[in-house]
Amino acid sequence: MGSLGSSLSIAVQSLNAASGSLQATNNNIANANTPGYTRQVPILEELAPVNEGNFSAGSGVDLKGYQSVRDQLLQTQIQQETQAQSGANAQLASLQQIQPTFTTSTQDIGTEMSALFSSISSLSTNPTSSTSRQAVLTAGQNLATAFNTASNTLTSQQSGLNTQVSQDVTQINQLTQQIAALNPQIAELTSSGQDGGTLQDQQNQLVLQLSALTSVSVTQGTDGEELSTGNGMPLVVGSQSFSLQTTTGSDGMTHVLDQNGTDITSSLTGGDLGGTIQTRDTTIPGLLGQLDTLANQFGAAMNAAQAMGYDQNGNAGQNIFTIPATVAGSAASIKMAISDPTLIAASSDGTAGSNGNLANLSAVQTTALPAGQTPGNAYASLVFQVGSLTSNANAESTATTASLAQLNTQLSSVSGVSIDEESANLITYQQAYEAAARVVSTIQELFTVTMSMGTAAAE
Amino acid sequence: MRVANLLPDIQYQMQQSQQALATATQQLATGLRVNQLSDDPAASANMVRSLAYSANVDQYTSNVSSVLPQMQTADSAISSIVTSLNSAITLGTEGANGTESSANRIEIANQVQSILSSVIAQANSSFQGVYVFGGSDSTTPPFVPASTTYTSSQGSIASPLAATTALTAGSVTTISDAATGETMTYQAAAGDTIATLQSAIASAVSAGTLSAGTSATISANGQLSIGTNSATAGIVVSSNDAVLGTMTADSGTEVANAYAYVGSSGVNTVQVGDSMNVATNLPGNQLLTSGPNVIGSLTSLITALQTGSAAQIGAATTAVFSGSTYVGQQRVPLDNTISQLNSQESYLGQEKITLTTQQTALVGINMADAATNLSQAQLDNSTVLAAAAKIMPQTLLQYLQ
Repeated sequence: MGSLGSSLSIAVQSLNAASGSLQATNNNIANANTPGYTRQVPILEELAPVNEGNFSAGSGVDLKGYQSVRDQLLQTQIQQETQAQSGANAQLASLQQIQPTFTTSTQDIGTEMSALFSSISSLSTNPTSSTSRQAVLTAGQNLATAFNTASNTLTSQQSGLNTQVSQDVTQINQLTQQIAALNPQIAELTSSGQDGGTLQDQQNQLVLQLSALTSVSVTQGTDGEELSTGNGMPLVVGSQSFSLQTTTGSDGMTHVLDQNGTDITSSLTGGDLGGTIQTRDTTIPGLLGQLDTLANQFGAAMNAAQAMGYDQNGNAGQNIFTIPATVAGSAASIKMAISDPTLIAASSDGTAGSNGNLANLSAVQTTALPAGQTPGNAYASLVFQVGSLTSNANAESTATTASLAQLNTQLSSVSGVSIDEESANLITYQQAYEAAARVVSTIQELFTVTMSMGTAAAE
Repeated sequence: MRVANLLPDIQYQMQQSQQALATATQQLATGLRVNQLSDDPAASANMVRSLAYSANVDQYTSNVSSVLPQMQTADSAISSIVTSLNSAITLGTEGANGTESSANRIEIANQVQSILSSVIAQANSSFQGVYVFGGSDSTTPPFVPASTTYTSSQGSIASPLAATTALTAGSVTTISDAATGETMTYQAAAGDTIATLQSAIASAVSAGTLSAGTSATISANGQLSIGTNSATAGIVVSSNDAVLGTMTADSGTEVANAYAYVGSSGVNTVQVGDSMNVATNLPGNQLLTSGPNVIGSLTSLITALQTGSAAQIGAATTAVFSGSTYVGQQRVPLDNTISQLNSQESYLGQEKITLTTQQTALVGINMADAATNLSQAQLDNSTVLAAAAKIMPQTLLQYLQ
C-alpha cells in the first residue's frame, strides 16, 4: 500500500507535468504568428508502477520533453514549389518590363513600319514633293529609333539581371553559412535524443529562403542536413558551407562559379537565380536575335529596293538604312543612311517625276524576308512570343502560388498553432495543475491529521 | 483535417478576388479585353497585322483623294480640248468652202490660232503644281513653243567645240520635234563625241523621228548648233551635258504656231488597293502628238487657211477631225479609272469599318460584359471580405470570457 510520501511525490510530478505542458502551450501561443514555427506538444509518459506485495501501483507521470510536430515530406514539397514560384516570378518581372516595348498602340516597330510604308505610298502620288520626301525620311528615322529602343530595352534588362545574379549569389552564401552554423547545434540535441525544436525550425526557414533563390536538394547526413545545388555541387556539409562566386565573363555577363572555380551558371535552375539566368541567357537573347534578324533583313531589303531606282537627281539609289555587316547588333545600330530628301530613289527611269521605283520599296512590305516571313508578320511573331512568354510565366506564377497556398494550408494543419486548440489545452493543463495542487494540499491535511493523531487521543 | 489557422487561406482568397476586381475595373475603364500582350498573345499578334492593314487602307484612301482631283482635272482638260477641236473642224469646214475670200480665211486662221492657244493651255493644265499631261516629268509645262535653232552655251571662238569633243558619259540630250510630234533622246556612252551625237541625229532623221534637214553643226563661234534648216519646222532642244552647257533657242527663230512636247512618256501608277494600281497620268505626247499629231494638224490647218487651197484646207480639217476622234477615245480609259477610284473610295470606307469592327472583336470587350464582370467581381470581393470579418474575430477565448 502506497504511503503519503509516495502520493505526495506523484502529486509533485503532476504539478511539474502540468506546468511543463503549460510551458509548451504558452510557447505555442507566443509563436502562433512566427513564420516557420512548428507547434510543440509535451511528451507525457506514465512512470513505471511500483510493486508492493501482490499488487502494483501507478507511480505518476513524467514530462519527457517536447516534440515539434513536423511533416518532412510537405516541407520538401513546399521547398520545391517555392523554387518553381520564385523562378516564374523572376521571369515574369523581366518580361513585364519588356512587354510594353512591343505594345501594339504607339511608336512600336509595327506602327512605325506601317507609317514608313504609308509615307512611301503617299510619296507615289506626288514624287517630286519635298514635303512627302521628307516625310519618308522622318518615318524611316522613327522606325530605326523604334528598333534601337526595343533593342536597348532588351539589353538593359540583361544588364539589370547581372546585378540580380550577384545579389542572389551573395544571399545564397549568407544563407548557406547560417544553415551550416545550425547543423552542429541540432546534431548535439538530436544525439541526446531530443527534438531539434526551435533550431530545426530556424534551419527549415533558412532552407526555404534558399529555395526561393535556387534549386537545392536536401539530404539528411550524419552531421545534420546536407545541401547541394541542382547539379549536385555541395553547398553545406555538416558545419561547413561552400561559397559560390561571381565573375564577369567574356560575354560581359555575370557568371556563377563553384568553390573550385568551375562555371556552373548554365546548370543553375529554379528559384530567383535560376529564373533570372534563364531570362538573361535564353529568353532575351532569343528575342534579341529575332529583332536583329528583322532589322538586318528589313534594312537590306529596303536598300536593295532603293538600289533598283534613281534619286531625284537621276543618280542610282544609294542605301537608305545603315546596317552592320553581321546580324548581331543590327537592331541596336540600324540608322538612316541618308538625310537629303532628294536621295530617295522614287524614280525608275532617272526622271525626277517618275514614281516607278516606289512600288519596289512598297513591295518590301508584302515580300518575305530571307527568314521566311514578311516584315509585318515577322514582327507579329515577335509580339506573339513576348506575349506568350509573359503569359506562360504569369500562368506558372499563378499556378505555383495557388499550389503553395494549398501546401502551406496542409503544413499548417499539421504543424501550425491553433489558438482555439491551445486555449483548450490551457484550460486542460490549468485544471490538471489545480487538481495536482489539491492533491498536495489534501496530503498536507492528511499529514497534519496523522501528525496530530496521538495528540488528539491524549486529549 | 485539422485547421490551425484560417488567416492564410482568407488572405489568399482576398488577393484573388482583389486581382479579379482590378482586372474587371481595367477592362471596363479601357473598354479593352487585351490591355497587354500577355492578356492574349495570339490576339495581340493578329492586332499587329490588322493595324498594319488598317494603315494601308487609310493610305489607299488618302491616295485616292490625292489622285482623283488630278485625274478629274485631266478629264476636264481633255473634254475642253475635244470641244476646241470640234470648233476648229467647224471653222476648217467653213474655210474649205471655195467661196470664202482669202481675207475671210485669214480671219478664220486667226480664230483657229486662238483655238490652238486654248488647246495648248489645256494641255499644260496643272493641279497643285503637277502638270497633268507631263508624263512622269510633271513639274514643268509639257508643251513649249518650238524654234528652228538651238545653240549651246559652251564653246567659243578661242576654245571651240569640235566633232571630236568628248561628251560626258551618261549625259542626256533630247530633241523634241513639233512637226513629227516625236522626241529623240540621246544618252552619251563612254567615248562618245559630238560626232556620235551628229550621227545619232542623222539616224533619227532617217527614222522619221526628226524632221528632214535637222542636223547638229559647229557654228562660227565654236558652239554646237542644232537646227532644222527650215523656217517652218520647230524643235526644242535640251541637254544636261556640262560639255555642251545649256541649249538655248536662238533669238527670233521661234516658229509660229509650233509646239513641241518636252514632257516624258512615263506613266506613274499609284496603289489604291492591295492589288489595285491606277495610272495617274496620261502623257501629253500620247494624247496629242505621237498618235495623230493633233497639235501639228492644227498648225497645218492654220498654215492651209493662211496660204493654202481649199483642198489643202479640207485635208487639214480631216486631219484635225481624226485627231479629235482619237483624243475623245483617250478619254475613255481615264473616265473608267475615275469611276474605279470612286468605287474604290467607297469600298475602302467600308473596309475601314470592317477592320475597326474586327479590331474591337480582337482586343475589345463588350461594355455590358465588362460591367457584368465588374459587378460579379465586386460581389465576390465583398463576400470574401464579409466572410473574413465574420470568421476572424471568433476564437474560443471569446466564449470563455
